Amino acid sequence: MLRIGFIGLGKMGTLHLINAAKHGNVIILAAADASKRRLRNAAVLGAKNLFSDFEELLKLDLDAVVISLPNFLHRESIELALENGINVFVEKPMARTTEECRSIVHTVEKSGRKLMVGHSMRFIGMIKEIKRTLDNGNLGELEMVTLENIVSGPFSHGDIPQPVPEWWFDPEKVGGGALLDIGYHLIDLYRFFAGDCHLLSSHLKHKFNLPVEDAAIAVLQSDKLPTTGIVHVGWYQQMISSGTDMRVILHGDYAYISSEQFAPSNIYTYAFKEGIKNVFRKIGGRRIRPLTFSHYDAYDQELAHFFYCLENDLEPSVSAIDGLRTVEVIEEAYRRDKRSPKGE
Amino acid sequence: MAKIVCLVEAKDRNELENYVSKALGLLDLKLNKKVRTVVIKPNLCYYWSAATGYTTDPRLVEATVNVLRENYGQHLDIKIAEADASAMRTKHAFQMLGYTKLAEDKGIDLVNLSTDPIEETKVTVNGLELSYQIPKLLVEADLFLNMPKLKVMSEVTITCALKNLFGAMAYPRKLEYHPHLNEAIIGICTILRPHLTIVDGLVALGRVPSRLNLIMAGEDPFSIDWTAAQIMGYNPSKIKFLRIAIKEGLLDPKSITVLGENIEKFAKIFPRNNYLTSRIAYGLQLSLLKIYNRVISDSISKAFEES
Repeated sequence: MLRIGFIGLGKMGTLHLINAAKHGNVIILAAADASKRRLRNAAVLGAKNLFSDFEELLKLDLDAVVISLPNFLHRESIELALENGINVFVEKPMARTTEECRSIVHTVEKSGRKLMVGHSMRFIGMIKEIKRTLDNGNLGELEMVTLENIVSGPFSHGDIPQPVPEWWFDPEKVGGGALLDIGYHLIDLYRFFAGDCHLLSSHLKHKFNLPVEDAAIAVLQSDKLPTTGIVHVGWYQQMISSGTDMRVILHGDYAYISSEQFAPSNIYTYAFKEGIKNVFRKIGGRRIRPLTFSHYDAYDQELAHFFYCLENDLEPSVSAIDGLRTVEVIEEAYRRDKRSPKGE
Repeated sequence: MAKIVCLVEAKDRNELENYVSKALGLLDLKLNKKVRTVVIKPNLCYYWSAATGYTTDPRLVEATVNVLRENYGQHLDIKIAEADASAMRTKHAFQMLGYTKLAEDKGIDLVNLSTDPIEETKVTVNGLELSYQIPKLLVEADLFLNMPKLKVMSEVTITCALKNLFGAMAYPRKLEYHPHLNEAIIGICTILRPHLTIVDGLVALGRVPSRLNLIMAGEDPFSIDWTAAQIMGYNPSKIKFLRIAIKEGLLDPKSITVLGENIEKFAKIFPRNNYLTSRIAYGLQLSLLKIYNRVISDSISKAFEES
């Protein structure tokens, strides 16, 4: 049985905790968060030891921790965990800057422990299918990758209204805007399809007058392939529709494939069918899958992959180097933007 | 005494000053004393821009500021005031929605009513005693100008002049009033009495946002909401908080006179929201999810919803 601790119980931390609780070979040994209410919720979900200070949690005999803290606490918590001999799963972005990322890469190598970053989009069913099609050569040579994801970002308005945490408004603490938050995923997906890359050009937007960008367009070029990429991300949409404003399109010199080919035509019918499937899974004693299209299933899958790697002493498919390479591209876009706090 | 509500068509965003002047001209506004201080309360309920129909357009506020200064002098002390809400923090809304820049450009102060001096006040509405933190600034201003949006809202059907005054309450967790929202809206409107209301109906929010190109103006916020309900395609006499207002003697529909454009002109293009259909669909989804949760124990748990 894997002994797992959870550091940070915001939206993502709690979601990971719920998913881990469904995993057969996991004991949720501990959870840490500054909020007593969230700790009480973690106890309901099975956390055995509760801490307000994550350093106390790291003194326990743990196989791994799942870190879902605000960006500015990633480096400190990751390195402390690794130095205590604990494997780490950390939410994206791995860290705010290339300097922090390089330090984390160094600490991972020195500790000999495993680190996986939550590059969850690689685990979305349709993305895996697109990658399979590409790898099978069905598209020919990959010429162009177009990636779009427009969301409400930190400004999503839940059914139970809560203020946006203040660290999102602090450029130092958050480290970046939509490009670091959502673009991080898409740049990683580009790398997933076309390998390491560099930034050709970028344009950052500031519709909401924040110190960090709320939308961005980045043009990427693969280091080894002729493949160009366009990334378009934004925090500017309310997301009131039931769909997901995300598109991944790969154009090869033989054919193309688009994520829209995999999207359910009706989200409600899709959810109903998935619900029925889960009823049969439950009757058959099999593990049920989250009842949501795309992302929620991916969160479940990525954590299951991490646990599988721990159980079988394998390296996770997303490493600290992946985190570093992604942040390198983003930092370059920030360096070129005069309005960015990191702009030159 | 007749309660005037003016409707002005405002198609050209470069002519907003003229439209505001036209509305005030129709209204023939007569204030009792010399105006030195003006407090404008827009609707900045969240961080969504005016184009979504949720928040008051800063361009309309700017046009209004210009018109007021033309009428009452360039040295008029103008403040734009908003209060924190359950999910919104005023300092961020001012910044994100362009009000910080407007204030800098026009020499206006921005005020967070949640951190400004208040007075605890109790009122009884529809047999219910309610307590409010009332910002003194709004009570003491020579001209308190209410600048709401024209929107639908599932809990109370419509939100316009009266609901925007509810938003002026200093206490941020306004959600706590929602179990008695109809009474809470009318309660605060017995205390906060704006001298003037100018409604931003440039983009109105119904089923979807829509360019309604409308500016409404009036001195009586109750009459404004009665008229707004008609524009949004609802029978105002079936809206609970307006019924309470009539019962409390705050609203007399017979006294309302609409000047300028016709209600029908805007009513026929407003994107009506069919609450019955959406409530049935939502209820059905919720029931199915509850059954599923009971069978599978897999839907997002209570613990997650509250995190």
